[in-house]
Amino acid sequence: MSKLRTEEFTVNMGPHHPSTHGVCRLILTMDGEKVVKIEPVIGYLHRSMEKICENRTYAQCVPLMDRFEYVTAMSAEYVFVNAVEKLAEVEVPERAEYLRVIMLELNRIASHLIFYGSTAMDIGALTPFIYGLRERELIIDLFEMTCGQRLTYNYMKIGGVSHDIPKEFIPKCREAVKIISEKMSDYEGLLNENPIWLARTKNIGVLSADKAIAYGVSGPILRASGVKYDIRKNEPYSIYDRLDFNIPTRPNGDCYDRYCLRLDEIRESLKIISQALDGLPEGDTLKKVNPFNFRPPAGEIYSRIENSRGEMGVYIVSDGSTKPLRVKMRGSSYNHIQIIPELAPGGLIADLVAIFATFDVIMPEVDR
Amino acid sequence: MTRDELKEYIAGHLEGKLKPLDSGKFNPLFEVIESDLLTVAQVLRDDENLKFDFLSCISGIDTGERFEIIYSLTSLAKNHRLELKVVLSRENPEVESVQGIWPAANWYEREIWELYGFDIKNHGNLTRFLLADDWDQGYPLRKDWDAPDFVRFPELER
Repeated sequence: MSKLRTEEFTVNMGPHHPSTHGVCRLILTMDGEKVVKIEPVIGYLHRSMEKICENRTYAQCVPLMDRFEYVTAMSAEYVFVNAVEKLAEVEVPERAEYLRVIMLELNRIASHLIFYGSTAMDIGALTPFIYGLRERELIIDLFEMTCGQRLTYNYMKIGGVSHDIPKEFIPKCREAVKIISEKMSDYEGLLNENPIWLARTKNIGVLSADKAIAYGVSGPILRASGVKYDIRKNEPYSIYDRLDFNIPTRPNGDCYDRYCLRLDEIRESLKIISQALDGLPEGDTLKKVNPFNFRPPAGEIYSRIENSRGEMGVYIVSDGSTKPLRVKMRGSSYNHIQIIPELAPGGLIADLVAIFATFDVIMPEVDR
Repeated sequence: MTRDELKEYIAGHLEGKLKPLDSGKFNPLFEVIESDLLTVAQVLRDDENLKFDFLSCISGIDTGERFEIIYSLTSLAKNHRLELKVVLSRENPEVESVQGIWPAANWYEREIWELYGFDIKNHGNLTRFLLADDWDQGYPLRKDWDAPDFVRFPELER
């Protein structure tokens, strides 16, 4: 029998494909079922936030930050507020710092629960999505109770937080921590030893540590490649230096490790929340600054935090006026989406979906 | 190394190529002239005691008077940080690509090319990706940029 003629062809994936998490478009060059080349197309969510910030006062920039990273909006607000506070040397009340850390960690868990659900759903398991969102609801209720919002909080203010917690927050929060830590075994029981899950994730999309560092990959993905680096430990901000927690790492850098690492991180975050609740001091939650006449001294600062996806940074240049001269937002997904064309070729299109899912890319952070 | 030791070490090691800018209590900040950028970057990445292996961010700035590019560097191994600033001329802003040293620079440089119009030499893939494909209204992040539907708020003018 004569050999069949084969040729490469192009497939369009996205921008509204469910497993591209938002509006990323991938132009795939395929050889049968194998991926040969990937070209990401971004920009569908470009809202020119950096330009808008230059035309707003500092306080007006904070709600915009919610839209920069809406899955963990707390950390996006925090990174901006923290940078401005450093620049203007605003003293933040102790209680506000504790509340911020509690909210940041709750938000990190909520984000990882979405990761858990959506990754499993992309790979074909539907149940984890229901599980993940069920427990996320407990956290979102806590946010709603505190600041009235469920997704875009506008909770962090320059000088503190907008609302003190209501008195039923602490028992509810402790209960949520207890429930989530009990449910962790359910999450792991569903997937960790599931043969289909293992076949789809083990040794798929292996990212070496050197390559990860060279491409600016950060956060859980970097740690899943065996690099022990977490900004919360290596360059502590807020009150993280007073808290006792570990940095989980995994050695292999494949999809399975990236998934496991996030579950490990949920456990550490639960520990942090319990400690912060125990140590929560009484006092003010906001040092008042006049938002209309807030003028940080001229200067520039690159400030960064550990977001649930990796390094989130903001570069602020102030010229001493009420508006920033330049705000550059650095989202970790921007780097992560760059490395996908390096990782996926040679694998199957189904592996590409697994890789994309475990990178946990969200698009507003890429396009801004 | 503490912040001051790092500053001193870099100043001693790359004498004549870097100009320290006082950044108060934040990360050390150095200015480098464009023609020295690649040499300096290579040393910063490869020197045993510096090892700036991780490029956090590249940010373009238009101060109204001059153009600047800031490279935010991190050393994961040594756990320290540094900011490098390159000042570009307003008439002919161009800078060498640092992709050969930090592959992460690719999209950051592409974005700066697109939104600021700085020419990135030896980049290899300067195509539009954030703005529309048929965008012809100039470089939006420049301070003198104006477009019909861009609204300024005069009550917030300084």
